[in-house]
Amino acid sequence: MFSKNIQQKIAFHIFRLLSFSILGVLVWILGFIIYNGIQVINWEFITAFPKEGMTEGGIFPAIIGTIYLVIGSMMFAVPLGIMSAIYISEYASNQKWVKFIRIMTNNLASIPSIVFGLFGMALFVHTFGFGDSILAGSLTLGILIIPLVIRTTEEALKAVPESYRLGSIALGATKFQTIKNVVFPIAFPNIMTGIILSVGRVSGETAPILFTVAAYFLPKLPQSIFDQAMALPYHLYVIATSGTDIEASKPIAYGTAFVLISIVLIINLLAGWIRRYFEKQNPK
Amino acid sequence: MKHTELEIQELKIQVKQMWNLVIAQLSKTKIALLENNTALALEVISQEKRVNAYELKIESDCENYIALYSPVAVDLRLALSLIKVSNTLERIGDFAEGIARHTISQECKTIDVKIIEDLGIEKMIDIVLEMLLDGYIAFETENTKLTEKIMSLDIQVDELYKNGFYILAEYIKENPLETMCALRLIIILRKVERIGDHCNNIIEDIVFYVDAEVLKHNNKTSLK
Amino acid sequence: MMIEAKNINFYYGNFHALKGINIAIPANTVTALIGPSGCGKSTFLRLFNRMNDTIENAKLTGECLVNGQNIYDKTVQVDALRKNVGMVFQKPNPFPKSIYENVAYGLKVNGVSDKKYIAERVEQSLVAAALWDEVKDKLHQSAFALSGGQQQRLCIARALAISPSVLLMDEPASALDPISTSKIEELIHGLKEKYTIVIVTHNMQQAARVSDKTGFFMYGELIEYSDTKKMFLNPENIQTQNYITGRFG
Repeated sequence: MFSKNIQQKIAFHIFRLLSFSILGVLVWILGFIIYNGIQVINWEFITAFPKEGMTEGGIFPAIIGTIYLVIGSMMFAVPLGIMSAIYISEYASNQKWVKFIRIMTNNLASIPSIVFGLFGMALFVHTFGFGDSILAGSLTLGILIIPLVIRTTEEALKAVPESYRLGSIALGATKFQTIKNVVFPIAFPNIMTGIILSVGRVSGETAPILFTVAAYFLPKLPQSIFDQAMALPYHLYVIATSGTDIEASKPIAYGTAFVLISIVLIINLLAGWIRRYFEKQNPK
Repeated sequence: MKHTELEIQELKIQVKQMWNLVIAQLSKTKIALLENNTALALEVISQEKRVNAYELKIESDCENYIALYSPVAVDLRLALSLIKVSNTLERIGDFAEGIARHTISQECKTIDVKIIEDLGIEKMIDIVLEMLLDGYIAFETENTKLTEKIMSLDIQVDELYKNGFYILAEYIKENPLETMCALRLIIILRKVERIGDHCNNIIEDIVFYVDAEVLKHNNKTSLK
Repeated sequence: MMIEAKNINFYYGNFHALKGINIAIPANTVTALIGPSGCGKSTFLRLFNRMNDTIENAKLTGECLVNGQNIYDKTVQVDALRKNVGMVFQKPNPFPKSIYENVAYGLKVNGVSDKKYIAERVEQSLVAAALWDEVKDKLHQSAFALSGGQQQRLCIARALAISPSVLLMDEPASALDPISTSKIEELIHGLKEKYTIVIVTHNMQQAARVSDKTGFFMYGELIEYSDTKKMFLNPENIQTQNYITGRFG
């Protein structure tokens, strides 16, 4: 057969080809959406309500709705997720119990998002009687991302060297003071990155909001957390599949996709930037 | 200053104190001998215990210093030389005491003063005192430029000792009744000569400490 | 006696880590604990600020006394104990905060809020740790900007700030270069005027240089405990002699 050096060369070339092709797919998707979407992007598109059965006008209420949902779900998921993670990684002494919780959160993370949507509808919309509302949607999205927040927070806490904890405890600090004053601030940049990534996830999810909050069209912005709201991914879904005039609203759909992708991209870049910023502040 | 350096300083101070004591002993011995001063001789004899105590103290402090601080280079040479110097000083103290004991013996009351002058005992003791003091200065200033002088002084002491030998031989022939006294004098001369040799050893130890050179058993004239 | 151990036995699960240790350490002395790796000297050191408490399946019998008080008594509050018994670790572990905040940390977590007092203690502690002159112009810079040796002195200052009476040091200079090491040793020598210091070290010369008393551990037993001078000139036990002369193992 071939000599080992030739084998190596062949393997490298195959790997390179594969990685380039993945990059190619990404560039293609982005290029396609940017090319089609950027044509409809203007100030009005971002700041106006949809008009003419959503074949014209803007996507302003969808942007605002997505922002509300992000804020709402974060307000619910972040404290809960971080506190659970702190309990699991710092306090819980029963390792079997911790293992069980960890398996459960991982299972939660792998449940399809449509199931969350149904669960949210059953629990929040009907049982709790919130109706289709920002509250119900935020809680559903929150449950969806709690596993992500827990896992990233746990990783971030685990990455804090034990010597800091010992150093603090040895000065007479309690465990809680140690976590609050030393461990958490050190872990914060990594936790922050996890939170920002989950913001990206929330802003792009369609299924969980489908039955819990999203409205096809609303003539005005939501006034309270018990109102329905429009959201970018759902808006994209309806105008592309069940609009009044699918062909006519196509440019709007591309524009919406462009805005959505831009938001997710910006959030990801922001996550990286924040991590680098804090790492500079706290060199390990 | 670091605490290890303080330990060294402390050791050096002790050695200097011992040195001063030995110089005082020898000076008193000289006066006791020349002036036949029994009281002073007795003082020298009683002070000898202090010299011995210094030696023991310095020796054990040096042991501790080496054990605890693992000295190297100049510190190690210093610790080693201090042990040797304190031993040597103690020997010099012994000789001074020995001379003092001869002074108080009752057998030589009648000896005539002239023979002591002829022998140059005073000069000999003065020379070894100078050697001892020069050694002290060399140690204190950590400067070995006095080495050559000390060594040449030792040669002078040796010459005086050799001469004294012949002078006393003549003296015994002429005054057979004074033989006992004369023998005592030769012992005293011998002790002073030995003190000179010891001063020589001390400067060799100081050269080892300061310059890290070994002069021992070298031909003295080869010294630069 | 500042620190006393009475018939201490300590187990990690089935492993008998410390076997019948008895020791009495006088106040205002430096005591060095030496011995081969895994001999139990660090475990022993950690008993005195109860850093072993969190280890699972650990078991302790016997009495540990600090200032006459059995520190494993139920009435003893562990954070109050640790305020009195400070600890410095092998690797410098300043918090990712400013130099000032690092030293003030112990005071703050122990409920001190008087800013003037904190500022005074920070200065006093940094002076005591021989670091003040090097950092007084950059107190609000990150502690990570300091060199390893400076960081370790900062950790010592941090421990001193809460006015302990005992300072435990677990190989405080083993991660440092020789010059930093000698500064730390010099510092330890000076600190014994006010504190009782117990230092674990792998470096026998260091033990000899800094300590007044030395304890030699082997296989979980305290083989010999005596004045450092005696230990290094004339050890009583043949195992001690073999270890300190390098003939062991």
